[in-house]
Amino acid sequence: MSFRKKLLLLFAATVLLCVAVISASVYNTMRHSVEQANQDRASAIAAQFRSEFQRRAQDVTRKVDAIASSEIVQRIALEQSRGTVDSGQNVTEARTLATQQQLDFLEITDSRGTILSSAQWQAKFGYPEAAISDTTTPAMPTVAFLKREELPDGATLGLFAERIVQAGEQPLYVIGGERLNQRFLTTLDIPAGTRVLLYQNLDANWNPQLLFDLNGSASGADKFARLIARVRDTQQESQSVIRWTSDSADAEVFHAIPLTGPKLGTLDHAGATQQLLGILLVGSSRRPLIELQRQVISTAMFVGGAGILVAVLASLWFAARVTRPVESLALAARRVAAGDLNAKVEVESNDELGELAASFNRMTEDLALQKDRAVQAERVAAWRELARRLAHELKNPLFPLQVTVENLMRAKQKSPELFEEVFHESTTTLLAEINNLKTIIGRFSEFSRMPQPQCQSIQLNDIVRSVLRVFQAQLQEKNHIIVNTVLDGALPQISADPDLLHRALQNLVLNAIDAMPQGGSLTIRTAPNGDQVELSVSDSGSGLTPEECERLFTPYYTTKQHGTGLGLAIVQSVVSDHGGKISVDSKRDEGTTFTVELPIDIRNRS
Amino acid sequence: MTRIAFQFRAATREASRGLAMSSAASSVAKGASACPGRAKFGHHLRSMDLRASNHRNDAILFAPITLPVVALILAVCATAPASTRPHYGGTLRIMMQSTPNTLDSPANATPTEYWDASRTLALIGDTLVELDAAGRPIPALALAWQSDPSFRHWQFTLRPGIKFHDGTLATPAAIAQILSPIHPEWKVQAGADSLPATSLTIDLATSMPNLLAELALPRNLLLKRNSARIPIGTGPFLVSDWQPGTQLKLAANEESWAGRPFVDSVEIEYGKSLHDQAIAVESNKADVIEAAPQPPNASPALNASSAATSLPVELMALAFSANSRTLDIRLREALALAIDRKSIQTVLLKGVGTASATILPNWMTGYSAVFSTQSNLQRARAVLANSRQPALTLSYDPTDPQAQLIAERIALNAREIGITVQISLTGNADMRLVRVALPSPDPATSLIEAARQLGLAQPSFAPTPRRDPMEDLYQSERGLLDDHQVIPLFHLPVATAVGTRVRDWGPDQLGRWNERNNATHSLADAWLADSQTEDREAARSLVEQR
Repeated sequence: MSFRKKLLLLFAATVLLCVAVISASVYNTMRHSVEQANQDRASAIAAQFRSEFQRRAQDVTRKVDAIASSEIVQRIALEQSRGTVDSGQNVTEARTLATQQQLDFLEITDSRGTILSSAQWQAKFGYPEAAISDTTTPAMPTVAFLKREELPDGATLGLFAERIVQAGEQPLYVIGGERLNQRFLTTLDIPAGTRVLLYQNLDANWNPQLLFDLNGSASGADKFARLIARVRDTQQESQSVIRWTSDSADAEVFHAIPLTGPKLGTLDHAGATQQLLGILLVGSSRRPLIELQRQVISTAMFVGGAGILVAVLASLWFAARVTRPVESLALAARRVAAGDLNAKVEVESNDELGELAASFNRMTEDLALQKDRAVQAERVAAWRELARRLAHELKNPLFPLQVTVENLMRAKQKSPELFEEVFHESTTTLLAEINNLKTIIGRFSEFSRMPQPQCQSIQLNDIVRSVLRVFQAQLQEKNHIIVNTVLDGALPQISADPDLLHRALQNLVLNAIDAMPQGGSLTIRTAPNGDQVELSVSDSGSGLTPEECERLFTPYYTTKQHGTGLGLAIVQSVVSDHGGKISVDSKRDEGTTFTVELPIDIRNRS
Repeated sequence: MTRIAFQFRAATREASRGLAMSSAASSVAKGASACPGRAKFGHHLRSMDLRASNHRNDAILFAPITLPVVALILAVCATAPASTRPHYGGTLRIMMQSTPNTLDSPANATPTEYWDASRTLALIGDTLVELDAAGRPIPALALAWQSDPSFRHWQFTLRPGIKFHDGTLATPAAIAQILSPIHPEWKVQAGADSLPATSLTIDLATSMPNLLAELALPRNLLLKRNSARIPIGTGPFLVSDWQPGTQLKLAANEESWAGRPFVDSVEIEYGKSLHDQAIAVESNKADVIEAAPQPPNASPALNASSAATSLPVELMALAFSANSRTLDIRLREALALAIDRKSIQTVLLKGVGTASATILPNWMTGYSAVFSTQSNLQRARAVLANSRQPALTLSYDPTDPQAQLIAERIALNAREIGITVQISLTGNADMRLVRVALPSPDPATSLIEAARQLGLAQPSFAPTPRRDPMEDLYQSERGLLDDHQVIPLFHLPVATAVGTRVRDWGPDQLGRWNERNNATHSLADAWLADSQTEDREAARSLVEQR
């Protein structure tokens, strides 16, 4: 992984972490705020319910007051004081009065708490009213209260008020109330997204039929069982999340408010022991919270994504800014490694990277300088070698020329009779040596005038066979050299100059023959190799040292006593002109193999 | 003066019928006196004494004597205003609660339906025999009757020359043709050739001492039916127009064997609530209505009319269904003990009727006090001890305005001993709060009829009657009540209110409207005062008050 990528990832991870931390912080803050808002809303609903409860209580009290002062009740009170109560006539009076005042419940009881008339259960006359039957010291209650009311079809919950009508010595009690039911809930002003349920705590055990909302019996009532049980146990407000579906947005937070009333058997409600009679459930949908939560998450995701993108871009820019000198250095280093000692790095800053770049430039300058010196030294060495070779090559024929000329001179002076004979022999020698000199000069001249290849489609195997035919006689004289040819019959045609290839192969074969003065085996192989063909010439001579291998293709370098040192240089030049390359592999005492790789199509030369 | 005027009218009408019937009647009376069973069967046989029961026939018998007496009385009464004398004409307007779709006597009817049908059909048809308020048989279409000692073979002598409204003679064969389908088990036929042409015989498979009471029931009214199922009888009125469920118009039967009614027609409006009826009679839009019974010492509920409350002729009871969860006799017994009848009677029934633990009212039997009506919760709980009781359902007649409260009160009473009773008007309830009519002043007949309506087994009477027939009745009724399948609660009266126009008429003690043997209880003998009469009477009443 590149330095830039690492830097990029580091920057991105840092930004992502920052965005995640900020989002989590915002979410927690928002969640806390929404839950607090829900709590406040539930409290507001509860307060509103209590306010409504008080208002309704006042309403009930006012109606009961009106009934208590009605002519009918006054008459009954008077009858009671006179002991002339007409039970048959009175039994329906409570219902009449309750209907007039739009009360659900109304009971008129005598001083002992015996029901004289009941609106909600007319047949209950003569039975004791539980709310006051045990009263020994009745006190006028001033506030309305919750009470469980028994009805023919079961118990229910009501909001009651009581009044005492005094006509004579015997008090008459009027107890009226309204049913705490679905209709009661409809009078509450409930905010959107909120709903109210009422559980009438009338059974010893959880009874889903006693839970209702504005529309009647509450659906899914069993889901409230645990919350209601908790409130029943603690008689304290409680809260719970009710999940309706797998979608958390459908869940509702319910705030349970216990509703208590005095235990039956006393009118002194202020000091009476309270009992749990109902539970008000104020529910608010979690959808706003969840949607806000989702919105925050999506926003965080968006911001995070955008942050990451910005971070990536910034990282790219920053990494580029940071890594560009480094990359320039790397590129320059690669160019230097490739031999381009002129590679320079632009120094753009004065920091450590700038110093590094300057140092690199100084280093390459030094290397170039050293290379120039080396080249110059090598060139001097080459010239020296050339001079040495030329001197050596030229000295060899010059010495016979000098000796021959001196023999002529000596024969002219000391043996003129033999001069003719000596002259004849000397001129022959002189011509021979002059020819030798011309040959040497011709070679050097030929190396300097290597022609450009004239390519045509040829079969390399044919070139090999042709060269072998040239050396056939020589090889037959030295029959101790065994020639092996491994030629691939499917070798493709290549585009090459046949004369130049012929000449190069001649040099390789000649070198191989020269490397095996004591005989050996000469192996020539051809084989296709991808888009190239491969030609190898192996001998089983004494081999070369690595140093010799390195300098083998240097012009005028030879390991032979009478070589010009241009043979392999010519081979390398020919191969190079055909877009191929030549390599040598040699092991001491095992032999040397020259491998030539030529492109099938010279246009594909590398 | 009214009474005298009626007797004069009856006498003049009956005088035209000759003396043949009186001789026949007296012969029957003699035969009846010779009946060996008369002493044993008490009131049954006592009711056969025509001399004691039929004042109309008395009038006939003594017509030669009474005529000069009447003439003398008329002379004395000449000073009285002529307008107070009965006169013909006018339409008697009656209102009823029920809404009958047919002019039949329904088999399983509510008491209201029963009374309404009986009262309506009694204006159109006659039975062979009638019972007076004391349960004594009196002649109707049959002038005389006799039975063999086994009470299986009965012979009736019909009034001769009686015609149905369609003009056909009410011959023994025609009567037999009507009665036979009603009682397939009876063999009803015209008398043999050896008997007079007006003879009708009824042969029974089993002994039936109370056959006369049975024949007096409304279901044995001798009514023919035309193609429209309109009843054609021999009564004082014939059907002139019938609007099922709403109105019936009757016209005076000019050929009535008891004489033409004073009123020309009767209009009966059905489906009127007691409240509507009360308003109608108060506003002079009705002459005879059904009224809510009042307690004995209550002040009159209606101002412009007179109301009469009958003896208790209905039973309100709690009847358990045969296949209910209440098969445990202890449960039924405990419930019977828990019900506080007194509170219900005092408060919910407003003192009307009497609390009772028997099927038959005390005025019929005299032994009701033997059966306690007091609630006894302690004993009820003891009866229920160690038994687990199911919740019971109780239904009632929703058209009965008092039934719901009474049912709720019973449920409340039951709750006190731990029995849960739920009021339900749907499905098959475990028990029903029912009212049944006690149709006959004859206790045995009413017991049989009540048992039938309550779904009880027919009461069994001792094969050999005891010396005191009430002992038989007591044992039979106790046998019906022993398993508490029925818990009698109250005996209730019926009431009738009569408008100011109506003269010389009122219902009898049993709330019946057309008791022919008593002119003051027969609508055929009622007449309507015109407006001038009413004004004069009002003025005279004012003067008398001053």
